[in-house]
Amino acid sequence: MLIAHRNLTREKTRLALSIGGVALAIMLVLILDGLLAGMYRQITSYLDHTPGSVVVAQKGVRNLLGATSLLPAGAAADVEAIAGVAGAVPILSQFVVLDLHGKKQPAYLVGYPPELGGGPWDVVAGRTPETDEEMVFDRVLAARHDIGLGDEVALMDRTYSVVGLSRGTTSWMTSFIFLRQSAVQTLVRAPGAASFLLVDVKKEEAAESVRDRISELPGVEALLKSDVQANDRSLFGKFFSAPVRLMAGIAFLIGALVVGLVIYTATVERRREYGVLKALGARNCVLYSVVVIQAFWAALAGSAFGILLALGARTAIMAARPQFLIVLQADMAGRALLIGMGMGLLAALFPARAIAGLEPAEVFRR
Amino acid sequence: MTRLAVRNLFQNRTRLIISVGGVALALMLILSLDAIVLWIQQRVTAYIDSSGADVFVAQSGVRNLHMASSSLPWDRSALVAEVDGVQSVTPILYTTNVVAVGDERTIAYIIGLPRDALAGGPWIVRSGWADPGRGGAVIDQGLAEKSGVGLGDEVEIMGRTFEVVGLSGGTTSLTNSIAFIHSDDFSQLRGNPGIVSFLLIRVAPGASPPDVARRIESEVDGVTVQTRQEFAAQERRVVRDMSTDLVRIMNAVGFLIGLAVMGLTVYTATLLRRGEYGVMKALGARNRDLYASVAVQALVSVGLGLAVGVGFTLVLSALVPRLASNLGLAVSFASVAKTAVASVVFAGAAALLPIRQMRDLDPAMVFRGK
Repeated sequence: MLIAHRNLTREKTRLALSIGGVALAIMLVLILDGLLAGMYRQITSYLDHTPGSVVVAQKGVRNLLGATSLLPAGAAADVEAIAGVAGAVPILSQFVVLDLHGKKQPAYLVGYPPELGGGPWDVVAGRTPETDEEMVFDRVLAARHDIGLGDEVALMDRTYSVVGLSRGTTSWMTSFIFLRQSAVQTLVRAPGAASFLLVDVKKEEAAESVRDRISELPGVEALLKSDVQANDRSLFGKFFSAPVRLMAGIAFLIGALVVGLVIYTATVERRREYGVLKALGARNCVLYSVVVIQAFWAALAGSAFGILLALGARTAIMAARPQFLIVLQADMAGRALLIGMGMGLLAALFPARAIAGLEPAEVFRR
Repeated sequence: MTRLAVRNLFQNRTRLIISVGGVALALMLILSLDAIVLWIQQRVTAYIDSSGADVFVAQSGVRNLHMASSSLPWDRSALVAEVDGVQSVTPILYTTNVVAVGDERTIAYIIGLPRDALAGGPWIVRSGWADPGRGGAVIDQGLAEKSGVGLGDEVEIMGRTFEVVGLSGGTTSLTNSIAFIHSDDFSQLRGNPGIVSFLLIRVAPGASPPDVARRIESEVDGVTVQTRQEFAAQERRVVRDMSTDLVRIMNAVGFLIGLAVMGLTVYTATLLRRGEYGVMKALGARNRDLYASVAVQALVSVGLGLAVGVGFTLVLSALVPRLASNLGLAVSFASVAKTAVASVVFAGAAALLPIRQMRDLDPAMVFRGK
């Protein structure tokens, strides 16, 4: 242990660089993980805050954000007539691409009936729309593009006046904007149309039973709200997990190489001392353990520093770009330490050959 | 001095492999993220690029296909057909929906095509027919293989069962695939028969697409008209504008990691050869000669790292599509050039680290056996 410690700390700049390299790699893994976790939370924010425990969509559609849904005419009345249904809020929603100051900004447009709900849940400035020419805009997106109350925003072939700014309705991919349902029907030339029904279930009824009853209606798909949220998370996870895993994998290899480089150099530098130990009867496994301990401590220190760096980076990124939500949880820190240990173990393989091939007699020849 | 630097670098193969590998991987972080974004940009315009249309007509104010919706009254088709320079008009219907095969559900652009469509249909047909016909669907071959379906099997699109009559190629991206059905089936399922989404125009031989586009826009009300190139550029901008901030953050992290790895490499190499540098100093070499040697080592290391990093990324771009059908990498010259500039900065910064070591090196040290 003492030898390992002395070997590792003898050259301070080298140690600092190796800890820094591992820390940056761990920080990257954590930030990627945190972005994914934040994205999952942002994806379900609309359903988290809207009424009802059952969502009704066009048959075949099981997501809110993934697919465009259009319910058969009269679906709302049919659903409301089903036993156990306390009420149904129809919304007409779809993605739109806004052109804001020369930038393309995808947004999720929700048309809702103000008298029933389904609109913005936290309007921090202004009010909700009272006419078909008014909209509520996400406040983060509004701030990014210097849009304020009373400003006009073009959407497809119409223009709307911003009368409210909402909170908790943003993500780095898309933000929510709200119009009255009748306004969206006019915009997309679909009079009377609804995409989804947010169904409230009577207290004495189980949501599952009501869902099953609604599912018997033609042309519709009824799901528990929690299932729709899980489907949205799974869908977006499928999109982004492959690139994120690829980047995290590269970061892991970099961390292992950084530790490996330091441990290897430290071992080669102290070759003679290892030779003396061998000449005095130390077996290879003893020497390996010295190397593994060095790698372990370098990786552990780097991982711990990486967690601190990730916390700092999260604060900086979210302050500069509020559309990014980076969620770092305790289990992620634990995983980061484990990843760091993995880097250390992999790194310890590099000097293994140098130690195994060491001749005890070498020390006496010099 | 250059020879000495190169010999220093190549003397220990294991250390060289580790350090070049570290630099290569750090550069690969930057390169691969750029390559993923470029691949997405290329794929997002695959339908537009390969549609066979010269000009696209959409609802006024609609300039995108991806994440957008366009609704045009049916009569716009006849009005556009009368514009000078228009050879053919193909009205298509479009939405984002789900292709379901058993429990496998995949998001897809659903394109509703009229019979014998002159544009907008599948451009590579691996097997079966390009024309879906009533009750039929043409789906992406990769999706079909993944879901275990073939020609004659059934899939569910927009909640209705369709028979797979064709398998297309080049119709998948990170987020979705493309499926083609008959526009009458589409209209029936949408319950909105008087509406089409886009008009795909072929211009007459000799006519200029930009001129025809401007003529349509001035003669027909309520439409936004773009040439194929303009429409594709708008699509690429969606991906670019969405990913710019994320790419910047990741590039900054990749850059810092590369800097740390490179710094570590040059610093450890210098430290190990301290004795030799002492001999050189004792023999009269000046500090700047030693700095030059370190700088050459740094430059050669990053040069090798860049070559290996580009090589790794190219290998990855060949491997990834085999492992994940919805992901790919497209390595561009611009991205390699940007990374090369970053590499030179790595080398310059890394070469500064051991300056103090060089400066303070005591030539007498070598005689003391240190």
